[in-house]
Amino acid sequence: MTALDNLLLLALLTVLLLLAGRRLSSLGWYLTILFGAQFAGLLMMGALGYGAPPVPSSLHIGVMGQVMQWRFDALSWLFALITVGAGLTSSWYLAGDWGRHYRQRGGNLWLLQLALAVNVFSMLLLLASGDLLSLFIGWELVSWSAFLLMALNGADAMRAALRYITYAMAGAMAMMAGLGLVLHTAGSLQYADLAAAVPTLSSPQLWGLILLFGMGFGVKMGLLPLHLWQARAYSETPGPGASFLGAVSTRMGLWGLILVLVQLVGLVPIADLAIPYTFLDARELLMWVAALTIILPTYTALRQNDARMLLAWHGIGQGGYMLLGVLMGDAMGSAGGLMHAFNYATYQAPLFMAVYAVRYRTGTSDLNRLGGLVTRMPLSFLVMLVGIIGLAGLPPMNGFVSKWLIYRGLINDGQPLLFIAAVVGTFGTILSVYKLIHNTFLGQLRLEHVEVREAPWSMTVPMLLLSAVVFVTGYLPGLVLDWVAAAQQAVGLPVLVHTLGGVESPLGSLDMIWVSSLMFAGFGIGALLFYAGGNRSKAVHQLDNYAGGHFLSADVRYQYSDHFYAGLMRHIGPLYRNSFQWLEGALGTTVETLGAAMRAFYRQHHPAIYLLAVTTAGLIWVIL
Amino acid sequence: MSQIALTIALPFLAAFLLPVIGRVYEALARVLGPLVLLYCLWLVLQLWGTGDGHPVALAMGGFRPPMGITLYVDRLALLFTLLVSLMTLLLWPWQRAADSRECALTLLLAGSASGLALSGDLFNIYVFYELVSVASFGLVAVHRSGAAFVATLRYLVISGFGTVLALTGIALVYSQTGTLNLAQLAQLAPDLLAGPVGLAGFLFMLLGFGVKGELFPVNTWVPEVYATAPARASALLAGLVSKLSLLVVLRLLVLLYQQEQALQLLLLLGVLGVISGELAAWRARDLKRMLAFSSIGQLGAMFIAFSIPGNAGLLAGLALALHHLLVKPALFLLAAGWPGAVERLRGLARGGPLAAGLFVLLALSLIGVPPLPGFWAKMLLVVGLAGQESGYLLALAVVLGAAVLEASYLFRVVAQLYHRDEEAARPRPYLLDLGSAALAGAVLLSAVPFISPLGDWLAGTAAQAGDREGYIITVFPAAGRPLYSAAGGGKPALAAAGPLPEPKP
Amino acid sequence: MSIGTLALELLLMPLVAFVVGLAMVLMLRRIGARIQRRVGPPLLQPLYDVVKLYGKQTQISHGIVHDIGIVMAVGGYIAAETLLPVPGMDGIAAKGGLITLVYVLMVPMLGLALGVGQCANPNGSIGISRALTAMLAYDIPFVIVVFGISWHYGTTDLTRIIALQQAAGPAGWGAAEMPLLAIAGLIALHASLGKQPFEIYVAPAEIATGPMVEMGGKYLGGLFVMQCFQLYTASVLYTTLFLGGGENWILFLLKIFAVVAIPMTLAYLFPRYRTEDLVRLLWKWPVLIGLVGLALVMR
Repeated sequence: MTALDNLLLLALLTVLLLLAGRRLSSLGWYLTILFGAQFAGLLMMGALGYGAPPVPSSLHIGVMGQVMQWRFDALSWLFALITVGAGLTSSWYLAGDWGRHYRQRGGNLWLLQLALAVNVFSMLLLLASGDLLSLFIGWELVSWSAFLLMALNGADAMRAALRYITYAMAGAMAMMAGLGLVLHTAGSLQYADLAAAVPTLSSPQLWGLILLFGMGFGVKMGLLPLHLWQARAYSETPGPGASFLGAVSTRMGLWGLILVLVQLVGLVPIADLAIPYTFLDARELLMWVAALTIILPTYTALRQNDARMLLAWHGIGQGGYMLLGVLMGDAMGSAGGLMHAFNYATYQAPLFMAVYAVRYRTGTSDLNRLGGLVTRMPLSFLVMLVGIIGLAGLPPMNGFVSKWLIYRGLINDGQPLLFIAAVVGTFGTILSVYKLIHNTFLGQLRLEHVEVREAPWSMTVPMLLLSAVVFVTGYLPGLVLDWVAAAQQAVGLPVLVHTLGGVESPLGSLDMIWVSSLMFAGFGIGALLFYAGGNRSKAVHQLDNYAGGHFLSADVRYQYSDHFYAGLMRHIGPLYRNSFQWLEGALGTTVETLGAAMRAFYRQHHPAIYLLAVTTAGLIWVIL
Repeated sequence: MSQIALTIALPFLAAFLLPVIGRVYEALARVLGPLVLLYCLWLVLQLWGTGDGHPVALAMGGFRPPMGITLYVDRLALLFTLLVSLMTLLLWPWQRAADSRECALTLLLAGSASGLALSGDLFNIYVFYELVSVASFGLVAVHRSGAAFVATLRYLVISGFGTVLALTGIALVYSQTGTLNLAQLAQLAPDLLAGPVGLAGFLFMLLGFGVKGELFPVNTWVPEVYATAPARASALLAGLVSKLSLLVVLRLLVLLYQQEQALQLLLLLGVLGVISGELAAWRARDLKRMLAFSSIGQLGAMFIAFSIPGNAGLLAGLALALHHLLVKPALFLLAAGWPGAVERLRGLARGGPLAAGLFVLLALSLIGVPPLPGFWAKMLLVVGLAGQESGYLLALAVVLGAAVLEASYLFRVVAQLYHRDEEAARPRPYLLDLGSAALAGAVLLSAVPFISPLGDWLAGTAAQAGDREGYIITVFPAAGRPLYSAAGGGKPALAAAGPLPEPKP
Repeated sequence: MSIGTLALELLLMPLVAFVVGLAMVLMLRRIGARIQRRVGPPLLQPLYDVVKLYGKQTQISHGIVHDIGIVMAVGGYIAAETLLPVPGMDGIAAKGGLITLVYVLMVPMLGLALGVGQCANPNGSIGISRALTAMLAYDIPFVIVVFGISWHYGTTDLTRIIALQQAAGPAGWGAAEMPLLAIAGLIALHASLGKQPFEIYVAPAEIATGPMVEMGGKYLGGLFVMQCFQLYTASVLYTTLFLGGGENWILFLLKIFAVVAIPMTLAYLFPRYRTEDLVRLLWKWPVLIGLVGLALVMR
């Protein structure tokens, strides 16, 4: 019984205990403890540092002439850490008041908890897959568990979940075709056999492999143009489910792409595939897809008025950064991409949790109906502040380090347009997250929210914990870079040489310990200058405000929140053509029309004549 | 081994005697059918147990082939005979057991289906096929609803047309070769049936026997019939009878027509079936009609599987067939308790959680979600198609696209079932229906750990079924006589001198 | 470098920045006066302004985030100055780089935005939204410049960039080797200072000075100090990238005052652009010039 077996059995045990313990009260706390045990088990497995062999499982199943096996390498470990961590914090969040409130509103709390446990188990199983067949089985299990989580909430959620499952099935079927292709070119579905067969593949076969697996994993990741399902589906999932899905579910697609495209096929054969009539090759094409995935969803997020949709769209955009980093194939860029997966999970989960805490207390997450909550919910404000600094990629949080690595990688690679695209995405993010925090916590406090209190401790503690992780890993990025470097080595990418504070290189160094310390020293000096000489500032009520001579009263709405970037939108508004939605709609209409045609065919009144015609045609075909 | 013929004879006998007995002893009439089927089941199991796995050819009445009626019993035929008895027993109309007509028709169906599975020559196949058709006409219309009558009429027309075509095809074959015995045809086919006349014969027979197999384009009867017939009848037709038609096509392909044009024709028709079936299912608003269209699509996939040259295709087709045979009848039984449009199914999961859960399980297996058996069957098909050239790759794309559509419309139904806003107090499925469906679900789940041995067994069965040389040798051993004779009570017949009969010019 | 020297540098660099910044504000007002045919304020006027603001009796605060916002605005710049090498003092410039500096410079803007947010005045919020939009606009050409510089010199370490330029002499300065990028950078610098024609986010008559609407006393004083730092940082950064840094203090001061003088002169000659016109302008000409310059650099 290896460490991996123990971990998987523990995850399975969690699912079974949940199935059995439906009537137990405080089931949420048991679930949290079990997730904590899984987390501890993962940590005890060790970080699988440089050169460490993968941890195998003792389970082998032979079927259809293929052998299925499972193992954990450093890449799996990194993603498993994110998975179990996200599961732990999500179940903690829902274990207390939020869960009670959800049940009172008519939700099925037990099913939500079960869905969380099933998701974690299936993701661990996927990450542990040791050959392509077990990969596909794990992939399908993950897809359908995510469907369960998304479909819990009823009408709107079910519609979004149905849209998701159509996309997910399309991706899975593409992957199935890819499996068939692999079987016929490499002879077996083992990783080693595929890697060995890659040099012998012809160009169309290699393209087929890239496109089929790219489509399969890309649907889950939300790569353009397969991203339309994600925002609505994630935002309709109930609270902790949304934070879990956003943190980790999308990253399964990234893991798959890294495994197949980078580790098994290798970036060199992909870069050698030139696209005729252009100066691009396959790797650059994928990098441009990633860059467009950064820009377009981020600017779509800019227009959202619902906080959950805004965050969900950002989730799609940040995935583009990760893929862009990994595809660069050098030490810095790929380290940035891998680290961004970890960082994103750590600041995205508390952001969703903060939004749901506000929703719990005020009943809404509509940005045009909130405001000024900083005085009533200061801890949630702090969490959201840390989250948006991380999401925007500003120092001293960890998002800055991974973005810095990606930018450096792009400069080294000599890709100016992609660099500009990445930075444009960051600026769009800054604009959009400021709108999020301004409309929720700053500005004028509404009359109906004056009595709002801070979220209960069962909800704030996991949020604060994650914010602390964001800050600490930003201050000491070397901690995460150790894991990232081990993953790089496992995948076959060049390993990043790093220190505890960051990176040292003649091309440009980064030492977060110094930078962050000096930033806080600067704040200290600024505070000194500000508060020196006694604090004579007088706190005034929010209605004691400049209003051009008018008297303000509480029923007057004195908040700028709707159409926040009016000037910018006047300029770039016409660029939002909803082309992808049009495309999706056109596809749907085509299927509907064809379906109607087929039904008309089956309803014909005089089949005999038609059959005679068909038989005659058949005869002619036979004779010729 | 010759007792296998009892599985044909006994149900017929019971079917004819049932109305008479029904007037005298009603209680006996209720249980006669199930008893007969139970005995047949036991018989087949016993034969299976005692047999050594090799195919056996039985000559009825002591007439040597190619003159007499031959029954060919290999693993595949034995499997189907078992399934016939089992399925008919499980889908027995207990609710209306007093209606001796329905029971008789069901027994007739059982007997002729067994005969279809075991037949060794073309005319026998044709006769039993007709008997199956007649039985199914009656079964569809037995509840006497107006819609069912209309559907039956349509079915009749198309079936009649198909019969004419099948007969024409058989006539063409006979004109070319002078014999109707499958083993002798197998010997003569490569020379005599390779030309356009032979292919035309194949086309006609395919279209004729394909009516029951829901082959495009002779499947326009399917939606109406499945939607208006009683659930058990639909289940029997969709689950069992269509597979027997597949079996006939399989024998034709393996023994008579191994050439490329025949496979291409089958591929084309299969692809068209998949496309038309799944697209029409997408638009369907009534659950039973949706399942009917879905059935067309699934059978199209099976035809595609059979059109792959080699044993890989046979294995994939068989796996798909067995899976469909398990899942589709269960789905129809569940649908019997949920009549009407899909919109009316809103919120039914609350009242019938087991039924809704079963529906989800069966839908998942149909779509092909691992680790359920449906996934393995689909995987076999994908692997088989992926290694061929362009036409097959197009078929692969169509099959995979169809899976996406299936997921979409089946889960649209699931969404309605689990809709949370309305409390619907609708009638739940009849307990026995639910029980049979639950049994199917249990079998499905229990097959998961045993996929590997099941797969190996199926591969062996497919290899045996695809072995043309073995078929010929079994029916005509080197000494020129069959191995067993029914009249001899199981003892080897006397050696007969002389070569095989000459084919007529 | 010993800990003592380093600590001294870290304290001196912001101080120097403040003093030079004050001088730049004075120069700014004197230039404006000359153009408007006035005399202009006396020498120490900016210092008097800061002292006056800090010494006011009425200091209104809208909440703790309001206070922290000003602290962040001033503190962020203080930290940023340590990343900017000047003649004789490198600070921690080698431990961050060009990219880090650009990002650290966004922290004061964020702090200001948070502080203004809690003022709960729509004029302030509108001002911040316009400021962020303007940042999006002028940072595009600026990013092109950053890429071009990093690519050309092969590093993002500012000390090395300065060393490479100084080793080659005036012909090796960034402005000489990459003139188009220098022009694009100058336009971006002008926009980043928030002076006409790019001062829509303050727009005194339209939105009541925008972010500064509820700032008074030491809050406004903090913003004033921030402006000093802003002028200094922008000009020193431009000098470092394009004018070879500072060989000695005399030349250094000459260069940075010259760099600031150009936009300041232009500022008093133009009215202001609307937000979308600002975005359109900055996304058209500087970007085009920058891209052409970049193509030439990367050839």
